[in-house]
Amino acid sequence: MRAIRQLNEWLAKVESGFLVFLLFLMVFLAFSQVLLRNFLSSGFLWTDLFLRQLVLWVGFLGASLAVRERRHISIDVLPQFLPATYRPWAQVLVNLCAGLISVFLTLAAWKFVQMEMEFTTILFLDLPAWIFQTILPFSFSVISLRYFLHVFDDSIKLWKKQ
Amino acid sequence: MSLLIVIGIITLALLGVPLYAIIGLAGLVAYHYADLDSAGIFIELYRVASSPTLIAIPLFTLAGFIMAESKTPQRLSRLSQCYLGGIHGGVPVAVMVACAFFTAFTGASGVTIIALGGLFYPLLLKEKYSKDFSLGLMTSSGSLGLLFPPSLPLILYAVIAQVSVNELFIAGIVPGLLMIGILGLYSMWMNVKLKITRIPFDVTQARSALREAAWEVPLPFIIVLGIYFGVFTVTEAAAVTVVYVLIIESWIYKDIHPTRDLPKLMINSMILVGTILIILGTAMGFTSYLVDQQVPMQVLDFMKRYIDNQWTFLIVLNVLLLIVGCMMEIFSALIVIVPLIVPIAKSFDVNMVHLGIIFLTNLEIGYSTPPVGINLFIASSRFSEPVLRLYRAALPFLGLRLAGLLVITYFPALSLFLVDLFKR
Repeated sequence: MRAIRQLNEWLAKVESGFLVFLLFLMVFLAFSQVLLRNFLSSGFLWTDLFLRQLVLWVGFLGASLAVRERRHISIDVLPQFLPATYRPWAQVLVNLCAGLISVFLTLAAWKFVQMEMEFTTILFLDLPAWIFQTILPFSFSVISLRYFLHVFDDSIKLWKKQ
Repeated sequence: MSLLIVIGIITLALLGVPLYAIIGLAGLVAYHYADLDSAGIFIELYRVASSPTLIAIPLFTLAGFIMAESKTPQRLSRLSQCYLGGIHGGVPVAVMVACAFFTAFTGASGVTIIALGGLFYPLLLKEKYSKDFSLGLMTSSGSLGLLFPPSLPLILYAVIAQVSVNELFIAGIVPGLLMIGILGLYSMWMNVKLKITRIPFDVTQARSALREAAWEVPLPFIIVLGIYFGVFTVTEAAAVTVVYVLIIESWIYKDIHPTRDLPKLMINSMILVGTILIILGTAMGFTSYLVDQQVPMQVLDFMKRYIDNQWTFLIVLNVLLLIVGCMMEIFSALIVIVPLIVPIAKSFDVNMVHLGIIFLTNLEIGYSTPPVGINLFIASSRFSEPVLRLYRAALPFLGLRLAGLLVITYFPALSLFLVDLFKR
């Protein structure tokens, strides 16, 4: 269990670092494209395509980090009507469901990438699209992992309290 | 069987399972029963997540986060006070103008009330505006700028409904000003009724406030004029905004430290983008299934039995959206509802740009609609007042904004005449 927790912390650090790097790259490329277009009336065709892939990457890195910070958007109306003692348990159940659903989404994302590997669509500079799409199964699997960690940590905390 | 599944999924949603997982689950179940490969969900997800307009969203979000973290709110509030304090109801109008500016950049995630509330609320009370009026004004102002460029919900609507962002950016200006105008008149009336003295205009103060905010004030104009006159596209405007904001906040004002503060801000802003993108992606998979199964068409056939003209349709739409707006957070509301409404609205000959403005006005009002409008809760915790008091305080503003909504809904020209003007 300790190893998994360490893996999670290590992953978060790598993800955060990579996210900051990609976002810098995105700002730099998008801005230099403006300069090139306006002052030299040129620019690279691949930049726009690459920027779109970067959105996917920064977005989904953000989405998996959001689980760690417990920031995903939800409509939690029912728990407010629950007695206070049951509310944390409802939260455990919620995280368990989110984790399980994300496992299925990971599988679907993986199937999608495999399909794209067969088609080998080339995006730009000889780079096939599936390379960029690998972020999808990756981020969904990290999301599941983090929800299961929440489930584990929270239930242990609740157990000890009783 | 299918009814049981639907009830189960809704129960999970209300229990607080994250929205992307709920919609993802709905998609997985639907694809399974239709004998489709679940990978199809991701074909749609990838298609929408890599659409060209979407590039503007992370960039504008980052710019908004940087501005919210720096001392922009302070400079903005001082400036608007200095220039607008001299007229009747000037301070409330200053509150609305500053809040609208700030919300257009930060996307109304409640940041406005938190950042500007602390500066303006005490000021309103000091000016002897009643507590209820001040609370109501602050709560309403928290979502007032949504119709102005470069607000994120406008861009998101453009992506989902596949209309031009440029047109949407122009269309929102007049309706947005109308909303501020209506609340402004109410404030002036309140000002006269409560016999509040005006703040005399002080030239030296005004000049120093303007000099202080001199770098931030031009920003909306750069974006708007740059886009309208074709100097840059919306995406390019977003890139220019980020670089501009980064330079002024870290070099000129020195509010943001480029290595100490910036990485944290980048991560936090992308967490917000990620929570939206993941819902957008999974929802596209599910709604494309619904559209494939002709669900909007079936709803349309049903509606056509009772509704036979555009006007009645718009009333029904408004009521529906107000309910959605106070139940759901704005981004998820847009993502889930827009794809289903668009085909129906088209058959009633509603203009898609106008529809966007109606959508956002409704959702903007929904923010401060009791019982569950999120801004009521944010204001309640920010100003340490019970939520019930905020319900009461928000009511007169709510009534006025509903009147504004009716005007915006039934006079499409209000949103569209500037668009037509620029098209020529």
